[in-house]
Amino acid sequence: MKKNNRITPEGTKDYLFEECIVRRRIEKQLSGVFRSHCFHEVVTPGLEFYDVFDPEFSGIPQEIMFKMTDRRGRLMVMRPDNTLPIARLTATRLQNLPKPIRLYYTQPIYRNNPGLAGRSDESVQMGIELLGADGLRSDLETLTIAVEALSQCIPGFRLELGHAGFFRTLAERLPVSDEAREDIRSAIESKNYAALQALLGRLPEGPEVRALRELPRLFGGEEVFEKASPFCTGGLKKTLDYLHGIYRALAEFGMGARMIVDLGLVQRNDYYTGIVFSAYVEECGDAVLLGGRYNHLLEHFGFPMPAVGFGVDVDAVSRALLHRSGSRSEERTDVLVHGEDGYEVKALEYASRLIADGIRCETSVFPTSGEAVAYARASGISRVDLVGETVRTIRTV
Amino acid sequence: MKPLRIALTKGRLESDAVRLFEKIGCDCSALNHKGRKLILPVAGGKLEAVLAKAADVITYVEHGVCDLGIVGKDTIMEHGGNFYEVLDLGFGRCRFALAGPKGRDFFGGYSARTVASKYPNVAADYFSGKAMDVRIIRIEGSVELAPLLGLADAIVDIVETGTTLRENGLEVIEDICGVSARLIVNAASMKLRKDEIENLAGRMERAVRPAEGERK
Repeated sequence: MKKNNRITPEGTKDYLFEECIVRRRIEKQLSGVFRSHCFHEVVTPGLEFYDVFDPEFSGIPQEIMFKMTDRRGRLMVMRPDNTLPIARLTATRLQNLPKPIRLYYTQPIYRNNPGLAGRSDESVQMGIELLGADGLRSDLETLTIAVEALSQCIPGFRLELGHAGFFRTLAERLPVSDEAREDIRSAIESKNYAALQALLGRLPEGPEVRALRELPRLFGGEEVFEKASPFCTGGLKKTLDYLHGIYRALAEFGMGARMIVDLGLVQRNDYYTGIVFSAYVEECGDAVLLGGRYNHLLEHFGFPMPAVGFGVDVDAVSRALLHRSGSRSEERTDVLVHGEDGYEVKALEYASRLIADGIRCETSVFPTSGEAVAYARASGISRVDLVGETVRTIRTV
Repeated sequence: MKPLRIALTKGRLESDAVRLFEKIGCDCSALNHKGRKLILPVAGGKLEAVLAKAADVITYVEHGVCDLGIVGKDTIMEHGGNFYEVLDLGFGRCRFALAGPKGRDFFGGYSARTVASKYPNVAADYFSGKAMDVRIIRIEGSVELAPLLGLADAIVDIVETGTTLRENGLEVIEDICGVSARLIVNAASMKLRKDEIENLAGRMERAVRPAEGERK
């Protein structure tokens, strides 16, 4: 049998040097922002029971989950999402804490993507969840933290704002089956005007049908609120005004022209119930941040509680940053220290002194100074200090 | 600002796409005399066209290395993916159909059927919609051969005129759906370059459906 011991599985990769530096820097910046706002870190298991991510309420298709069974034959998955385990954790173990509960995480998710498309099956996400709070204040807190966090690591992003209530309210009023509703949702999601037209054409004309037909086009800047207002009757008028209020607040917060409104933002993760938002950067074909309010998710874990949160795709941000900077490693060695025979300990002490002075310093493991100099030349280290009775400096370039 | 990049499907849809660009007033001389170049300026460099195989158009657009793409609905149905499908361009019209040897009853009896197709996912979706268990065999070339050689009971394929079917003693058993060329857009590009993309899509829409365009 052919052995696979020299390759990594499709969809995974080794992260080397500057990739790690950039990724750790992003993690530090984001966790710094989250912690400064009093969010507390949690880590959940990489393996969970399938039932936590039941497609019925998670909207995560079962075919993208990596599955296995435990010793008792129960179905388990590699964590495909971070919000659901945190909802489970909060509903079961943190019930008695005073609300709201502020949590953040840094951990990978695993998704079995279709093959040969260049997608990552393993990607690190960082995010926050603000649980046990509803309404304007918690929505604004979450959104401004998202803006603050991304501004620190990848300035120049665009933020997109929507509300799950538009589609949900309109679709609920339609006299159609759940499958037909899903077809309509997916046509709106992919802005497939032709398919949407055909699906809605079969229904009796009414205010809901007219509004749904316009939904994918209600997308752009602040003018969208005015364009949408004739379609928003009853409760939807309030939703629209609410979203407009949030838009204005964020514009004041410095997002101004970098905001987009999309009332046709109907994500497949249909646990969202209120505001939904995402962030985009030029270097990346997918959103680098996704979030929203999910007020009914914790019910599935037996403890109803409103909540809002977002997750940042750390790997995507890191790729975009490496693309911007042209990926040069900043961690170069300044000096190679070589101890002559009998002066090995002295050389190590000398190196420690250099390091204490802030000089980036490697020690030579070679038996002769000639090999040490050759290694320095090959690795681009410009200075070699030979430690014997005295210290001699050799320049290699 | 860098030009919008659009991926065009080589072959069947290519000349229609070029004609559409000319209709909306874009200079296509580089596309008409392309030589061996793979990335070509259109409309004096305001657009950049990439010529690719159908499935690759989807891949490039999905990853955002091309902002837009022109590709057949057949390819979209077979490959799926995450992008906006904003416009039915109306050209490249044909249909997916189930076809088999003339006069044979495909749906009769209870034995499991074998179906050959270049579009195994489309075929699988179609039969799962009918709750039918069918063995699907992927064939790369002339699918019509499979039932003639006795490998399959029927085929799922693109039918334009039906001539090839008729000449080989096959007939359409059932139409599955119509297909035509579509304009697709990368999700991030749509958000980041909305005005340019809507402007281009609007001009294309008016060109392919003049009456509807004027009504707006």
